[in-house]
Amino acid sequence: MIVRSLVLVFAFLISLCDVALAQVSLEIIGPGMPKYPMAVSPLKHVGTGRDPGKYSEGIADAIVYDLDLSGWFRVLDRAAYIENPQQSGDTLGSFDFRDWSTIGAVGLVKGRFSVQGDEITVELRLFDVSQAKEIIGKRYSGRARDFRRIAHKFADEIIKQFTGIQGVFNTRIAYVSTSGGRFKEIHVAHLDGSEKYQVTNNRTINLSPSWTADGKAILYTSYKDRNPSLYLFDLYSGKDVKFSARTGLNLGGKWSPDGQTVAVSLERGGNTDIYLLDRSGAIVRRLTDAQSIDVSPSWSPDGRQLVFVSDRGGSPQLYILELASGTTRRLTYSGGYNTSPAWSPKGDKIAYISRVGSRFSIFTIGVGGGEPTRLTNNSSDNEDPSWSPDGRFVVFSSNRAGRYHLYIMQASGENQRRLTGSGGDDTKPSWSPRLD
Amino acid sequence: MKVQFKALRYFVVAIASLLIGGCAPSATTKPEAPPSASSSAAATEGAGTQRQGEGQRGGASESTVPPGSLDALRQGKSTATPSTSPLQDIFFDFDRYDLRSDARDTLRTNADWLKNNPSARIEIEGHCDERGTNEYNLALGAKRAQSAKDYLVTLGVSAERLSTISYGEEIPVCKDQTETCWRRNRRARFVVIPARPAS
Repeated sequence: MIVRSLVLVFAFLISLCDVALAQVSLEIIGPGMPKYPMAVSPLKHVGTGRDPGKYSEGIADAIVYDLDLSGWFRVLDRAAYIENPQQSGDTLGSFDFRDWSTIGAVGLVKGRFSVQGDEITVELRLFDVSQAKEIIGKRYSGRARDFRRIAHKFADEIIKQFTGIQGVFNTRIAYVSTSGGRFKEIHVAHLDGSEKYQVTNNRTINLSPSWTADGKAILYTSYKDRNPSLYLFDLYSGKDVKFSARTGLNLGGKWSPDGQTVAVSLERGGNTDIYLLDRSGAIVRRLTDAQSIDVSPSWSPDGRQLVFVSDRGGSPQLYILELASGTTRRLTYSGGYNTSPAWSPKGDKIAYISRVGSRFSIFTIGVGGGEPTRLTNNSSDNEDPSWSPDGRFVVFSSNRAGRYHLYIMQASGENQRRLTGSGGDDTKPSWSPRLD
Repeated sequence: MKVQFKALRYFVVAIASLLIGGCAPSATTKPEAPPSASSSAAATEGAGTQRQGEGQRGGASESTVPPGSLDALRQGKSTATPSTSPLQDIFFDFDRYDLRSDARDTLRTNADWLKNNPSARIEIEGHCDERGTNEYNLALGAKRAQSAKDYLVTLGVSAERLSTISYGEEIPVCKDQTETCWRRNRRARFVVIPARPAS
């Protein structure tokens, strides 16, 4: 049942066409810039009868959520909007920009939609209020119940317009959740908490989900057959295959950026080392050979290096291994407990966690070393950093509200926001690549 | 097919529990073992001295030999080792897997029991407290289980009878965020496993 719904969800296409030419990007938002005042009007229903699915507000709400999440916009409260979206126009010349400049909007999103059977057609436009001109116009059609994805796609376009880089709102987070019970299962959800699916349901312990480079499958460690083995779950077919089931720990599988190999930790006789496996799970190469703990490999975006955790120096620290030469260098020196490394998609730094006093906090450090930057700063534990595919955000878990929940922040540590709120503990988030 | 196999396995576990349980001291003759390392070592030493007289006792309860932590988790049972178990837990310091002297004492008692029960096979579980990263803790748990195994082997227990598994921080016995609780979770557990039918 779970499998079937996943297949339906993931086998999905939105058709898209430009209804106006996109202009050059404005590049007036970003870290350190003042928030850009934006209005997002509910959409005009151009079909007959009632709005069948509250799409008018639903689509606007999803765009508002994304813009807000980015931390770069100040979305004006809908209660202050002057015009009635069902009576006003949504194209240039069919509404009065003064209705929007009056309330302080500089950017404006308007749109229309119609529904026929199960299909929805949506037109969305971004206007520059001060210049009274249209910046972006797009037409989408797809299944009506996927209306949020259309909204997220347009939010991605807005981000691209303002920053030059496509947004990441059509992505998902895989994570581990207890959902209030005693078992740990793998879940996948959209950033806004919608389209939430439980991937595993084997009533044991399932850990460390990570995405394949194409975003179509999830690798995870499970105790479902007693031994902690690696499994690969295909989100499209629902097929779950044993990937590495060597006796002992099979841990932390990370697909290489080129999709050809997987870096894992394997345990033999109590000792963990890092190996490269091929696409079938066979060992290609052993990467570490020490009587120390060697775990949690994370790839550099060019696939030439791995950062990993080792206690070879007496305490857990981060090390960088260059694959071609086989040389290893120690990266972290401050703090007695540094783990959970995640190499940024831009390649310049590594996020990780460090023990400060009795608590864990998220830091970043340049790949060349140097002074770490602290991103979380409070009297709780902050763990498991995972980068967005554009490198502008980090998702992580924190127990700042009692139980562990997932949070998102900008790469600078600003604008920390909670994403999940199940009755259980949500941990180990893994951010997907961009999905179609 | 699978269901039948599973049922068979539980049956085997039950039989094994009865057989092995017959050698164990009864619950009524034992003091409650608090989680602190020194007193649990004392309790198991007490068990060792009582063993001879109780070899003939039958009808030991299932609790005498606890199920493995994963089975206990699945069944919603406590994953704590009862004070009646002939094989007591050993405890570790934070981020360490070397054996403390109290752990060595407990391991000597456990080794004696293993020598007196030569058909018993043991799975050694390595556990950690909740602090730190899951993956690192899984590797640390594997080290802890291996340290216990290596010491039992040096005490003369055949390595073939000893397997290891790490549960890292995933199956704690105590869930409070206190040092008292964390200390109880940094442990190795010893679970009697039945001979599995070849599959």
